[in-house]
Amino acid sequence: MGLLKDWDYVEQAVRIPALAEVIREALIRALFVRDDRVLPASIIGDLNRLPPVTVKVKEDGEVRKLIRVLNGEESTVSLGLNAEDYHFFRTQLGVGRTREFGLTMRPRVLLTYDWIVPEQRGVQLDFTAYAGVEFAEDGHRAIAQVGALWKRLYDDALAAGHLVPFVPTVPLDFAIGDAVCGDAPFGSFRGGFASYVNALRTISPYGHRARIGFEEVANNGTAYDLLHASIPLASEFFVPVAVALRLEAKPGARKTLTYAFDDPAKVSIALDKVSRVGPGIQWVHLTDAVAAKTLRPGPAEAFAVQVSLGTTATGIAAKEKVVDAALAGFKAKTADAPNPFDAPAEAYRKTAEAVARALFVGEVRIPAKSFGDFAGKVRAFGDQSAAKAGIYGSLGSTGIVSAFPSFSAPKDRIKVYDLSKGVRAIVARIPGAAFTGRLTHLWEEEPNFLRRMALWREMKLQIDAAHVVQPLVAP
Amino acid sequence: MASLDYAYRRLVNTLGPERVARSEFERMVYSHDFASLPKIALLQWRLYPDFVALPQTTEEVSGVVKLSDESLLQITPRGGGTGWCGGSVPNRGGVLIDMRKMNHILGIDPDGRTVAVEAGVSWKEVEDFVEAKGFALPHVPLNAIGSTVGGAINSGSTGFGGLRGGSLRDAVANLDVVLPDGSLLKTASGADAGGALADLTPLFFGAEGTLGIVTKAVLRLIPKPELTRPLTYSFPELPAAGRFLKAIVDAGLTPYHAAAVDRDHFVFERALRSDTPEPVDLALVAVQGSKDEVADQEKALDALASKEGGAKLPPAVGDGLWRERHNNYGARRLSRGLMISYNLVPLRRLPEAVETAARIRDKLKLNGSVQAHLVDSTTAALNPYVLMDDTRPSGGTALGFVKRMGDAAFKMDGHPMGLGLFLVFNLRKMHGNATSAYSAVKGVLDPRKKINGGKTFEVWTKYPWPGLRAIPPPGMAIGLEVAAILRRAKPTRDRFVRAYEHSKEG
Repeated sequence: MGLLKDWDYVEQAVRIPALAEVIREALIRALFVRDDRVLPASIIGDLNRLPPVTVKVKEDGEVRKLIRVLNGEESTVSLGLNAEDYHFFRTQLGVGRTREFGLTMRPRVLLTYDWIVPEQRGVQLDFTAYAGVEFAEDGHRAIAQVGALWKRLYDDALAAGHLVPFVPTVPLDFAIGDAVCGDAPFGSFRGGFASYVNALRTISPYGHRARIGFEEVANNGTAYDLLHASIPLASEFFVPVAVALRLEAKPGARKTLTYAFDDPAKVSIALDKVSRVGPGIQWVHLTDAVAAKTLRPGPAEAFAVQVSLGTTATGIAAKEKVVDAALAGFKAKTADAPNPFDAPAEAYRKTAEAVARALFVGEVRIPAKSFGDFAGKVRAFGDQSAAKAGIYGSLGSTGIVSAFPSFSAPKDRIKVYDLSKGVRAIVARIPGAAFTGRLTHLWEEEPNFLRRMALWREMKLQIDAAHVVQPLVAP
Repeated sequence: MASLDYAYRRLVNTLGPERVARSEFERMVYSHDFASLPKIALLQWRLYPDFVALPQTTEEVSGVVKLSDESLLQITPRGGGTGWCGGSVPNRGGVLIDMRKMNHILGIDPDGRTVAVEAGVSWKEVEDFVEAKGFALPHVPLNAIGSTVGGAINSGSTGFGGLRGGSLRDAVANLDVVLPDGSLLKTASGADAGGALADLTPLFFGAEGTLGIVTKAVLRLIPKPELTRPLTYSFPELPAAGRFLKAIVDAGLTPYHAAAVDRDHFVFERALRSDTPEPVDLALVAVQGSKDEVADQEKALDALASKEGGAKLPPAVGDGLWRERHNNYGARRLSRGLMISYNLVPLRRLPEAVETAARIRDKLKLNGSVQAHLVDSTTAALNPYVLMDDTRPSGGTALGFVKRMGDAAFKMDGHPMGLGLFLVFNLRKMHGNATSAYSAVKGVLDPRKKINGGKTFEVWTKYPWPGLRAIPPPGMAIGLEVAAILRRAKPTRDRFVRAYEHSKEG
């Protein structure tokens, strides 16, 4: 995601004497929106620079070779390019001059916004053509190359008798790799994306194939759990090329229930109660009227809660009763709604395109009991900002709603920044809530957080001592 | 290096005389963990700590860690000592920090569904506390009575509830850790950020105290289930019980716990307790939920078991085994201790794995039991144990079993669990080219290797001389392999478990 790179850039920028006078938040804003009234032209130049070369990866050996070339271990001749590409590659990268190269993974779809500091001189990797999926013969495990579409994985898994337990809270047409190098919000009722990752197949900053974790089994008791700690930042330590995922058996019976609520207080209480219902729930998604209109045709209630059940054929009726009781207070219920993720790929893609038109600022994690309060405040904030607000959310068994406010606004960086700041102000007034958007990582000044980020930065410098994988950049 | 007397005085000034021990007997108690070690190990390591410190607060832990900058003594943190690979025993003496005086439950947050505890409290105490408040822990380690919260986190343990409630890692929201420089770090943000905001919590799972000392933990809670029903099924052979466990996952069922236990375990238990069930290969499954849900799951399980030739045992059997679920290693009283080999294997290969474990045990002419339980939808834990007879010179060769089991786990695309002193040679086999990344993490957090040094990437010995200060990890593997070969060459089984032998003959 380039998060460490952005954070380090800001940390270094605030120490530049000429910029030290600018308060941190104003400096972050100036960097984010590329404000040439605040920043020197050289910095603006750096921020507007794009990676000069994009490589479309077809096999992981290409990435290995590329890393060895960038590390100076192999000549560009070994890339096997034709004369024209060879010349382009060398001139664009400035091979032969005294400069360092880096490489960065390009997510297929970004929910929120691009990072502040782009890759300065190196190569951008495009994994859209590296999209294979392989299922274990007699087990519930898949290995998905990072370019594989989530929707394809989901459909293929169902056909093979498995269930992909995690679904996107905001239904965009994400690739699996977007969860490790982008911001794809995968999750389920029982856990986040990381809970379902057994291993990452990566290419190390030295060009070796390095597996983090174990493809067939959990990684308990094998020294530090570097896998799960690093998943949000994995693409800054290694180049992940495939993900070994833990799937589940396709349940004997599945059912999607939709409950409509018109009262924010009632929906909050209902969400808290349903989060206490045990296994059998695959996911619980919630939308306000704005989001619901984008996802589903027809009239939309103030709030809709969709619950996906999956259990034995004989047990599903009992589970539905339990969910009905927990969601008491609903205005209407639809028990025969199709599972939105079972839709044909083309229909899913069309919905995703409609959803992607909105501007997203990132994830807000909020106790279920406070969801109604949050939704009201976001709506009012959107109205004030002339950007109609909507909310996509999913509920976890911990009682936390992972909410993604969306705004009908042009996706320019100034708007993104101001709306993010507004959401942060709302979240700060709600106990137990956290805004985890990328900008929060730059704004946050809590000492423990700064210490943790500093440790991550040191670990990056140790693991990527070759400065190849999204190398840190000084302003 | 400061003198030991000076170091002792400084420790006493920090903790008080009653919480610093240096007598021979007390040091001896801390010179081993749950695994029984042959005395020959003392030739290689100084397993006896110089001092045992018993801090009661995070500040005291920090104080003791900072003192090691003056004394240059190694720090070895220790929880309940229920580990099995020497992760919590010293290799060069030094200060052993026993965390069990930090055993308070700090408070429960019913709205946030979390409980804050000190690292030295046992899981059983936490479980009892939260159950009295109407909650349950989503994940409980196997040895909940002796295992401390910090100890289980550091060993990356598996246990009860994994299939239903997720891993122990998912059940921990935040940790307080004293880093090797003596500073305190909160590993996650105060609000639940779902792994964002530079969350470092997972890094301490399985770290065996090599990155820092966990002093407090915030654990997640789930509502207490309405009903828990243990069910037991006997099978003609253990692989059939393994197939039954796999079938449970394939059917999409999510019991709270599902384990396969061979008949030998009950033979040992019978020698100790008369109320032990009849020895038989069996599966123990605990289902939870409302009455309807439990009944539905029970019906489904009955059908799955009968497909594998399983016969349902009377409810009293299941109830008894469930009551005693945390007392799994009574057999150590029959001998001079036992060795447990913890391994994770792919669930799809579980039937093969239990057969392999029994074969290795028999080849090495050991007395022991094969056990396994479900961890998640891809993984099963295979944790056989064997009895040791350290009264004979050949007793220590039983350690070879752990090596052979680990090798077998690797062959089945799984891995052994734990590194510690004895299994550190597995690290490179586990992580291959990624090993250097793990080494980098230790280098960042503990550059001077103050805390539990010489156990992860190299094996320190007690000797100060160059060339002998450390041995390459594969050296340990060779030693254990030789033990296994000697064991195999031994003509007979150990004869010390009379009850076992009688029962076999009978």
